This record gives sequence, structure tokens and C-alpha cells, in this order.
Amino acid sequence: MAVDSFRAYLDRLADGGDLAEFEAGVSWDLEASAITMLANQRDGPIPAFRSIAESETDAVLVGDPYRGSRERPWDRIARSLGMASDLSGADYYAAVIDRLSSPREPRVVDRPAAPCKEVVKTGGDVDLLSFPWPYIHQGDGGRYSNLQTLVAPAPDSEWGRWSSHRMMLHDETQASLLLLAGEQVPNLYYYQYERRDQPMPVAAVIGAEPAVEYSADMWIPSGRSEATFAGGLKEEPVDLVPCETSDLLVPASAELVIEGRVLPGERLDEGPFGDYFGYMNGPRRSMPTFEIDAITHRRAPRVPFCVEGSGVGYDRNSSSTLEVTAAGPDATLGLRAAGFDVEFAVPWRFTSRTVWVIATNCPYPGYLHELANFIFTTWGMLHIDFFVFVDADVDPFDPRAVLTAFALEADPDEDFHQFGVERMPKVPLNIYQTPDEKEGADVGTSKAKTAKAYVDATTDGERIRRHADEELRKRARAVIREAGVSGAEFGSDESRGETE
Amino acid sequence: MIPFADYLRGLRRDDDLVAITDGQRDDVPVDVLAAEALDGNGPALRFERDDGVDLASGVFSGPDQMHCRESAPWSRLSLGLGLDVEAPLVDLLDTVVCLGPTGTPEKTTYTPQAASRTLEDLQALSFPRGVDDTWPVISLGVASITTDDGTHWAPVYGVVVSTDTLRVRVPASLASLSDDGDTVAIALGVPPAAITAAYLLAVADRVETPIQETGVEGAVPLVPTNGGRVPSATEVVVEATVADSQPDFEPDRREAWEHAVAGASLALDVTRVVATDDPVVPISPVGQPMADDLQLTGLTTAAHLYHRVNNYWGISPVEWLLLPPSTELGVCFVASDVLYAGFEWQLANILFSFSSLFDTVVIVDDDVPSWDFGRVLSDIWVKAHPSRDWLFSEPDAPAAKRPNYRQDGTTGARLYVDATWDPRWDDSYLAPRVTFGKSFPESVRELAREFWSARGLEPADCDPIADDLDGDSTG
Repeated sequence: MAVDSFRAYLDRLADGGDLAEFEAGVSWDLEASAITMLANQRDGPIPAFRSIAESETDAVLVGDPYRGSRERPWDRIARSLGMASDLSGADYYAAVIDRLSSPREPRVVDRPAAPCKEVVKTGGDVDLLSFPWPYIHQGDGGRYSNLQTLVAPAPDSEWGRWSSHRMMLHDETQASLLLLAGEQVPNLYYYQYERRDQPMPVAAVIGAEPAVEYSADMWIPSGRSEATFAGGLKEEPVDLVPCETSDLLVPASAELVIEGRVLPGERLDEGPFGDYFGYMNGPRRSMPTFEIDAITHRRAPRVPFCVEGSGVGYDRNSSSTLEVTAAGPDATLGLRAAGFDVEFAVPWRFTSRTVWVIATNCPYPGYLHELANFIFTTWGMLHIDFFVFVDADVDPFDPRAVLTAFALEADPDEDFHQFGVERMPKVPLNIYQTPDEKEGADVGTSKAKTAKAYVDATTDGERIRRHADEELRKRARAVIREAGVSGAEFGSDESRGETE
Repeated sequence: MIPFADYLRGLRRDDDLVAITDGQRDDVPVDVLAAEALDGNGPALRFERDDGVDLASGVFSGPDQMHCRESAPWSRLSLGLGLDVEAPLVDLLDTVVCLGPTGTPEKTTYTPQAASRTLEDLQALSFPRGVDDTWPVISLGVASITTDDGTHWAPVYGVVVSTDTLRVRVPASLASLSDDGDTVAIALGVPPAAITAAYLLAVADRVETPIQETGVEGAVPLVPTNGGRVPSATEVVVEATVADSQPDFEPDRREAWEHAVAGASLALDVTRVVATDDPVVPISPVGQPMADDLQLTGLTTAAHLYHRVNNYWGISPVEWLLLPPSTELGVCFVASDVLYAGFEWQLANILFSFSSLFDTVVIVDDDVPSWDFGRVLSDIWVKAHPSRDWLFSEPDAPAAKRPNYRQDGTTGARLYVDATWDPRWDDSYLAPRVTFGKSFPESVRELAREFWSARGLEPADCDPIADDLDGDSTG
């Protein structure tokens, strides 16, 4: 059974020996994030800091709670959804896709029944800085909340639109929100509310229940609601509760809810920040101003954060894990629903938001172009620069298999396709554009355009069979295991082969 | 010089070799077991057989770099060449190069032949037959012949077609040095330095250089045979005459060095087989991912190219160079100081000139350590601009030998990916990395280390320790 709150998720982590609780005082000023980054590097347990120095509240900081293990990043997420913990990557994707295929309408509960209303502060009682927001990397522009779900109005859904946008704190009542034009909520702000000179009501939900967090990382098409997909994921309706200062509905079990408005025509500094590319992405940019009107929270709220930039290469963090475990299955489902003959769409494990691997059949000439065109103009527009297409029988969870296909099948002469050279939008978080090329845009995308590319690493003709038949291979693995060799690759045949 | 049998003992001592008896084997062919162990990044295997010679697989390969692991793909070979098992890649590349024509020959050492037991014929060794093979196979051997210039070595593999007949593949350059009726020795189970030297001479196309003019001379004690000289410590020596220098023979599979240089077939009549009392010889699951012959070809080619590019412009800008087995030799990765704008173009194209294996080169900055391949596989896509830094040549370059495409000789483009900082950029443009070393002051780092040490969470084996020093080590 799926957990129904963030703290229940932490309990489940603790039950599995995956949570390390620290009672000693730790500072929000780099210390919590340094401890978390070491855990990320060492594939250690999830750290929870119960005593934060110089904090006015009894909040508990939790570092990268959704980070998966290096080899099996989906296990903790699967456990949170009540799935078996020994699923292969392919089986995990299949299970999530199955649940996403049965969305459930949320349920609205009264305020007294909502844990997130245990403490309510409005007006002059609002003090954003009373919470121990972490200062994550040396050189960051400020303290951040960067593992949160932003709830915004949705013209086509009564449940609102949920997505992930970080915020940098400025004072007791103001923060800047990273809103990059091209994504749904930012588009709503820039091209509807701001053009009408209206503030856009939003709520930043921190420590939402896991299913909410996962669905906020998915690209849900217009006309559908993240809230219903979250219900599908947990196989139960998500409980929502009205905000104190707007008509928005927020997840009732959340640890902390920050209500307010994104003001039209007003900007605050945002960044620099150590970003998901693994580099600091300076320079500072101007981003929309989030004016805070109310804060509601549970007692001793658990405040999750992500040490962004530490989930590249061999290491993982929450955001890189959520790409693989939430965005990947969602994208696979979306591509299939759009009529593409896709086996799996899986983020490249070494830089999960920049390049994706898609295992697919190629039913007709031009198919890959159509597929790339579809993705680059929809959910892959801003962040993703590359797609690598491999044969449907190449395991996209196995980076060696993908790399081999890239090396042997992708002909520089005809299999590298640059889309609209230097004609496409790009987030200014990238590091390959100069500061001059990045700055100056007023809706969040770089001033200079960029290119996108796809690599056709599928086989032209019949693929050369490499391995012995599967039955013989199973027997071989059993012999090797019997000889005393351990390790994931020689583990049970059910889970083998799909480890990343 | 480490004899092959001692090398295996060293691997076993390091828990990097596991023995499998015939009883445990459950009739699974050894090539399938060898392939599966390598595919799963497992240890080397020693097949202790009731009949025939013992076999060892995976001894010249190792785990891939797709995960943070205890050891690198080249760790075992480092041990075999007398280096520390954790030696940096560049130490291995330097050591490999010194076994070839670049190395300084020392006085030849002659010691008695370890293989002193004469066997009746090849049948006594009971070489394994792979699951898809027609005949029993030999692999990872060193062919030795004598000319007026001296002894020539090259890698050899082949099949046993009868008790006294072999069909083998050797580099065409070695075959051209012999005629029908000439004698040849095939050494199986040679010291790692000897098989490495043979591979190096092949991939560098220097088989015509006698070993007396290479660094392996003196490094490996030798013994004369009826073919050429072979390492004294060789486990099995097969002496033969060339029955046919142009036999009608196409092997089922080819060792990876044949991607680099042309091979030729020889039919051999076996005249004598000698072995040690308890012989053990290496086998490679040829054609399978991470196979030993693939790794040896990649590392010796890397050593050869590393040496050539670092001695080409009068300076040594290249930190390391790799043809990882995970790319099956189809991509060359190089970390280099980009000396000036356009140097990356020079570097990529000189590599295309020096090797026809690949037509894709990836260049990363010289602060990217070779052991952190995860960072390499990130920087390609993050640091390189999708249009400006993925650079294609005119489509009139010859096809590379290793990839599967354009094997009909059609010309096409070459590609290099420039994942380095542009030397023309102002320093302020260069984004600092997010690392433990760079993102936190030392006092905070120390606190974090103490926190986890108190809870028993020690650094992973591939932890970027250099980050603590606020810099990156390479090699």
C-alpha cells in the first residue's frame, strides 16, 4: 500500500534502514547540504536533521529524500508506492504505467481534517525566514526551497496545475520563483496573468506526499490533472484542502504550504545556483516575485531539499532519481499514447535531464524524425538537448548496451540529426552558452537560441546476435553464483539485466 | 615479469578470481560462463578441469566503468604488469608502451623452460569448444617465428582441427614473414607482459620489428624453441610447421586485434607439444562484451596512440586516452589540455590519422580523471554545445573499421565532440563544478566527513577524493 504522507514515507525509509536521523545540531548554512552530498556520493542512507541551529521552528530538514541507489534507483520509490522492492527497471516502468493508466479523482477534505493546517499564519504573522531553508552550495545566490510542488490555477482543471519550480528566498514575505517560459505554469503567468497585469495565485507545497511529488515531475497534458494521476499512482484519491487566501486546493497531508501571489511586472534576483548539470549556472537573472500571504504547516514540519548538481555522473540525488522514476515512465506512456511504437523512454543516467534514451521500433522511414520532432516541441523542449534512439531490444536501463549501440551503430555521416540549428529555445541554466548569450531574456529562456539533436543508434538491418540463448545464460549465472560470486549482476534472474 | 600462473595466484589472493570445477560447471560451456562473468562485471574465472588443461577467463579484462566500482577495467592487467592494482591508467599506458619498440631492450635473460613435459598431441590438452564453435579453440596466444632479424611476436588464435593440425589467425604482417615449411611456436599461458607486447606490436603495425629491439626483451626471460623464442615461463608451447600459408579458413569469430590490422590464416602441422606439470592457459570469449581480447586491443591501442600524440608536437598535452571496451573500440576518448583555439580539431584529426578503428573522438578537459568515466559520460552532453561542439568532417573520409555501418567501403563523415572549455572564453565564463571540494569550505567538509564516519559510512571506492583537495587528479 502506498504511503499517504511525506512523514509516512520517512517512516518507511527508516523501517528499511534507509534513514539516518541526526539529533545533534546542524546548520542550514552549507552543513546540512554537505552531509547530504556525501551521502549521495557514498550511496548512503537519507539524512534527516532534527536539530537545526539558528532556526525559530522545530522543522526537520531532510536531504535528498527521493534519492535512489546507484544501481537500482527505483527501489525506494517503488516501496513508497507499495510495489515490490525487487522489480527490474522494465517491470517498475510497467507497474507505474499501469497505475497512471487508471487515474483517480482527488477528494476535498475540510480544513480541520487537513494535517497541513495544524499551524496557520497569515498577515503580519507570516515569516518565511522562520524556517531553516538550506544554503546549499557555496556561491549560490541565496537560500532555496528546491524540492517542492507549485500549485497554480489551471484553466482546464478544477484541481489546479502542479509542477516543480524552485524558489530563492529574499525576506520574510518574498521569494523569486524560477519560471521558464515554455513550461505550462510559467506560460500561464507570462502570457496570461502578467499580460493582464494580474497577480497569479500559487501555493508552494513542501513535503507533499510522494505520489504528489512524483506527478509534479511528470508532463501531464492539458485537460488532464496531476492530482488524478497522483491518485492513480497511490491507488487512492489524494486528499486536497482549500488554501487560506485563494481558491487553490493543496494536498492536505503536506508538511508546509506557502500561499501567495506571483506579482505581475515585478522581478527579483534568482541564482546563481549549483544546478542539475553539475555546474554553477551563473549569472544572476531576474525572475518573477512570489509575494507570500499565508503559511500553514504541520507541527515539526519535515522540509525536504535537494543538493542539486550532485546527481550527475555516477552519483544520484532526488531530482535525478525522479527523472528516471517518474518522468521516464510518464514519457513512455505519453509517447505510446501519441501513437509511437516505443518500448521505453529512459533518462541517461549520467545527466538525466539533458539526454534521454528511447528504445523503439522504427516502423517506417522518417519515424525517428517524427518522434524527435514531437518530443522537442512538447515536453522535451527546454531542458533536453539530445535523444539517443536505440533498437527496441536494446535495454535502455543498461548504459553499456546504449553506449555500445552509440559506438557501433550511429554513423556520423547520416545518424546525427541537428534540429533547427541554433533556432530552438534553451533554459539559461546551461553552461555551454556564454553569459552574454544567456542573459537579458525576460521570460526565463536564454536570449540566444540553441540546437537540439537526436542520434539514431538503431541498427540498419539485422542486429548481430551476441549472447548465448537466455536459458544457457541463466544456468551460467547460477553456476557463477554457486561458485560464490555475489553482486547485482548475478542476483536473481528476475531482477537481473535491468539494473542501470 | 610475472609468470601467468603466479599472476592467477595474485588475482585469487585479491579475491578477483574464482575457481569453478567441472562438477560445479553443470555442463555449461566455458565460453558462456566466461562471457557471463565479464558481462556481469564479475571476477576472473579459473576452470579446474578433470581432463585437459585448466583455463582462465577474464584475466586480461575487468569490470566496465558504467558504475562506481572497486576496480577499473585495466586493474587486472596492471597487476599482471607488476604495477599496483590501483595504478593510474597513464602508468599502465606508459608501462605498455615500454614493452614495444619505444622501450629500451635490455640484456636477454634465458631461464629453463617451465613447460618441460612433452605431451602426445593436442588432444591431451582438450581445448574447449564454444557453444557455437565447430572446433575446439585456442585464444590469447603468442605466435613466435624467427627471421634473420630476430624473433617476431604477434597475437594468435585459432582452432584445433585434429590431434596435430591447427588453423590459426595471425596478423598478415607476421604471416608474410613465414613460408610453407617454416617453423612457428605458439605460446599459451605467457606472462601478461608477453601477451601485451604481442598485442602492442600488432595494433601498432610493428610486427616486423623483432622483439630484440623492443622493451619486452630483457623484461621477460626467454627460451629458444623450434619456432621463435618464447617466454620461459610459458604454460604450453606448441611447435609447428607452416603447412599452408594460404589455407581456405575463415574462423567463426575473430579476436579484436583484427579490427585494427589485417589478419591472415595459417594451417599448421603440430610437431611437438610441451606443457608444465599443471598447465593453465587463458581463454577469451571472443566476440562477447568486455572480452579479454577486446580489452587488450583497446588498452594497447590506447597506449600506442597516447604515446604518439604526446610526442607529436614536442609537448605532452594529453592526460589520458581510452578506447573503452564498453564502446567496443568504436569511440576514442581523450582528456587533453586544449592549448589554443583549434587544437581540439588538430587532436581529433591526428587521432583519425593514427588509427582507423574509430571515426568518433570525444575530447574532455584535462581535469577529468580517467577513473571518473561517469563524468565523461555527463560532460559530453552538458559541456558540448549541441551544434557548435559536435563537429562533423566532410563526408569523404574512409569508413572506420570497427563500427558496423559502412563496411562496404563507402566514405562518410567523421565526428569529434569537443566537451572542453573554449580557450577563447574569459575565465568568468567557465562554470564552476558542483563538487564536495568546491561547494563547501574545509571546515564544513570536515564536519560532514566526521558525521558519516561516526555512522560507519566510509567513502566509496570511486569517491572523488581529489575533490577534497579542491582539485582533480588525473590519470
